[in-house]
Amino acid sequence: MVGITNNTDVINIAIAGVGGQGVLTLAEILAKAALLDSHNVRVGEIHGMAQRGGHVVCTVRIGEKAKGPIVDSGTAHLVIGFEPVETLREIHLIRKDGIAIMNSHVQYPVAVSMGKAEYPSEDEIRNAIRKFTNSIHEFDAMKVAKEAGSSRSMNIVMFGAIIGSKITPIRKESAIQVVREAFPSRFEEINVSAFEAGFAMITQFMKE
Amino acid sequence: MTKPKDLLENTPGKKVLLLANEAIARGVLEAGVRLVALYPGTPSSEIGNNLTFMAPHIPNFYFEFSTNEKVALEVSGAAAVAGVRSMMICKGPGLNVAADPFFSLAYIGVRAGMVIVVADDPSMWSSQNENDSRYYALMGNMPMVEPADPAEAKDMVHDAFELSEKLELPVLLRTTTRVNHTRAPVVLDIIKERPKTVEFEKDPFRLVPIPSVARKMHPKLLAKIEKAKEIAENSPLNFFEGNGDLGILTSGVAYNYVVEALDHLELETEIYKLGITHPVPEKSMVEFLKRHKRVVVVEELEPFLETHARRLAQLNEVSVEILGKEQGYFSRVGEYSPRIVIESLGKISNRNTRINWKDIDKQSEQIPEMPPRPPLLCAGCPHRASYFAIRTATRGKAIYPSDIGCYTLSISPPLETADILFDMGSSITTACGLAQVTGQDIVASVGDSTFFASALPGLVNAVYNKHPVSLVVLDNRTTAMTGHQPHPGTGITGMREEVPPLDIEEVSKGLGIKYVKTITTFESMAGLVKEVREMVKWTRENKSPAVLVSRDPCALLTAADRRKSGEYPPKYYVDTEVCNSCKRCLNRLSCPAMYQDTETEQAVIDETLCNFCGTCVSVCPQGAIKQEEK
Repeated sequence: MVGITNNTDVINIAIAGVGGQGVLTLAEILAKAALLDSHNVRVGEIHGMAQRGGHVVCTVRIGEKAKGPIVDSGTAHLVIGFEPVETLREIHLIRKDGIAIMNSHVQYPVAVSMGKAEYPSEDEIRNAIRKFTNSIHEFDAMKVAKEAGSSRSMNIVMFGAIIGSKITPIRKESAIQVVREAFPSRFEEINVSAFEAGFAMITQFMKE
Repeated sequence: MTKPKDLLENTPGKKVLLLANEAIARGVLEAGVRLVALYPGTPSSEIGNNLTFMAPHIPNFYFEFSTNEKVALEVSGAAAVAGVRSMMICKGPGLNVAADPFFSLAYIGVRAGMVIVVADDPSMWSSQNENDSRYYALMGNMPMVEPADPAEAKDMVHDAFELSEKLELPVLLRTTTRVNHTRAPVVLDIIKERPKTVEFEKDPFRLVPIPSVARKMHPKLLAKIEKAKEIAENSPLNFFEGNGDLGILTSGVAYNYVVEALDHLELETEIYKLGITHPVPEKSMVEFLKRHKRVVVVEELEPFLETHARRLAQLNEVSVEILGKEQGYFSRVGEYSPRIVIESLGKISNRNTRINWKDIDKQSEQIPEMPPRPPLLCAGCPHRASYFAIRTATRGKAIYPSDIGCYTLSISPPLETADILFDMGSSITTACGLAQVTGQDIVASVGDSTFFASALPGLVNAVYNKHPVSLVVLDNRTTAMTGHQPHPGTGITGMREEVPPLDIEEVSKGLGIKYVKTITTFESMAGLVKEVREMVKWTRENKSPAVLVSRDPCALLTAADRRKSGEYPPKYYVDTEVCNSCKRCLNRLSCPAMYQDTETEQAVIDETLCNFCGTCVSVCPQGAIKQEEK
């Protein structure tokens, strides 16, 4: 397994993205799966004005010693990015031995569309992230989600990737059970295949 | 996903994952609360969002979204005076709105338990100020409890009601954003029953605080606070934890950071964690101060407990060094985190932190410049069209007083139609003041929920005093920013009952506005621009206020409807044969569903984000934005 070297009482996960991408939902189902497996858990969420299409970050902390929800700079075992620039914005949270999983699908901020700011190149983003961690896995989760049946299942693709990374103590069966129960039954099939696709994707990466 | 029905489950002992706001809603059910009234406000919004869907399933329970916080406190206060448990819920600035009844209610007291939940917002994630509501407890002589996490939030609902009934006083339950929006395991308790009705017992010389009555009440209230002090001395909500030379006084969410910081620094201290923060248990606190040479106070925002500690040390001649905000160890601004507490405690106790944050900060500074992504109006938001029209009609030259809601986001370029804002309802009133002293055209805007909450007295003022102001009511049929609560214009109550909605146009006419029109926002951009222009002209010529209601539902509501039905209108697209890359659509609308193709420089519509409003079609001078045929 790549990454985590220190024994740790708490697994810290930060999930960054754009409001509307399903960041909050992922944080909640991840925590639900942790609780299902009898782990103590804390989730830090952002609501209200912060959600309206802006940058969003949620935190999930799993383990006995988790008291508050906050994940500080340099303490995240996993940083999950729903979008390249948003991954970069929160990469300071990651531990040196932490793992970053990033959706490579770009969602341009309006400042870029209006020509008032520039979107950094793929290489710039990748190199900047590498200064914080050597372990970065990126793939087009949007494409994977669409193949699973809906672009809206992108967060479930990322859920599969988190569980597939084996950083959390959550069992795959518990994670899938939560995916099945958390949403209306008409989305069950799409979500389970999205989860499996994300899981397979990261498993493949981590073998390489 | 946690749903309101999950919160109704009669399964005592079950451990579930709840947001503190959901835990408080569950607490309302368990504690046998008979009536809850509130006006939604983040970070407290999810309490009401759950209660409204729970309400129809709870026997003998009444819930309402009141028109504003003052109304909510009066409605709920009266219920508790009559003799049933009641609750009022608001965000920090909401308690300012309810301040008037707040102080009287403490004098009058209650016959059954009453809890006022107030959610402060350190770091101002969604508020206009960082005010520390703990001073209301001090000033109003109302006891206060402060939970540190979701489990405590629910437990303290029970504790607060018991305390309230012992003292016959309302009790404040004060939270902060980081508590409200933390999700954690919570154990469900049994559900108490609630009475159907109670008989109101008249006692005007207690319930009507005319001066002669109030003069007697004030000493009685102070006596109640003395009694509360005794209760606080022996309450398990205030507890000591650990042993060590250093003492740490803390409360609320900061307690978590203290525990994590001590673990990180491997530091032994004695923590005094206060769950009841007004009145503070003075005897125990003095004993605590006496036990230590140095006491650190860790609390977010103002030095509230710190000042108490300093006062008590001076009064009791305790020689103790109290370290906190006064010497700059902690900030009065923003939320704390474990890191902030670790760094300050590390400095105080000469310990090194295990993480080299300086390196990480330095590293972060080297990240290439990132495009900002602030919150903005959603794709398909009707406000974007309304503000585009307002700007176009007035060529950006009018003054645009704004109000509180999603539409305040029009502050950003390119819309730039939020020039001044104080509080809920200040659009129309600041417009009045500006009109009198500037002589410029004024186009104020207010949302539908805020219109009913706080704009009505301002409108009456504008009519009676003949202020030449134009007001656009952005009627998106909901209270959008806080999570789509109904309001008096929607036709749905907090009990989910259908009732006749109040019509904004009729209300405005009833208040004496002579020029009132309603227009469908997305019907025609040219029409919208023309209407705004005509209103401004009328206002100028008639020296009187005018109202234009721009009506179309919130894009999030229409998008949810489409997802439910599975029926979508034909897609919008940019015809690459026609688009000449002028970027007018991108530059004038800042729609998050549009971006520029990096190669062709033409505009592109992201079909996964587009909400089919069609505003871009009317903005394109080339006619390049089109809708697919059916």
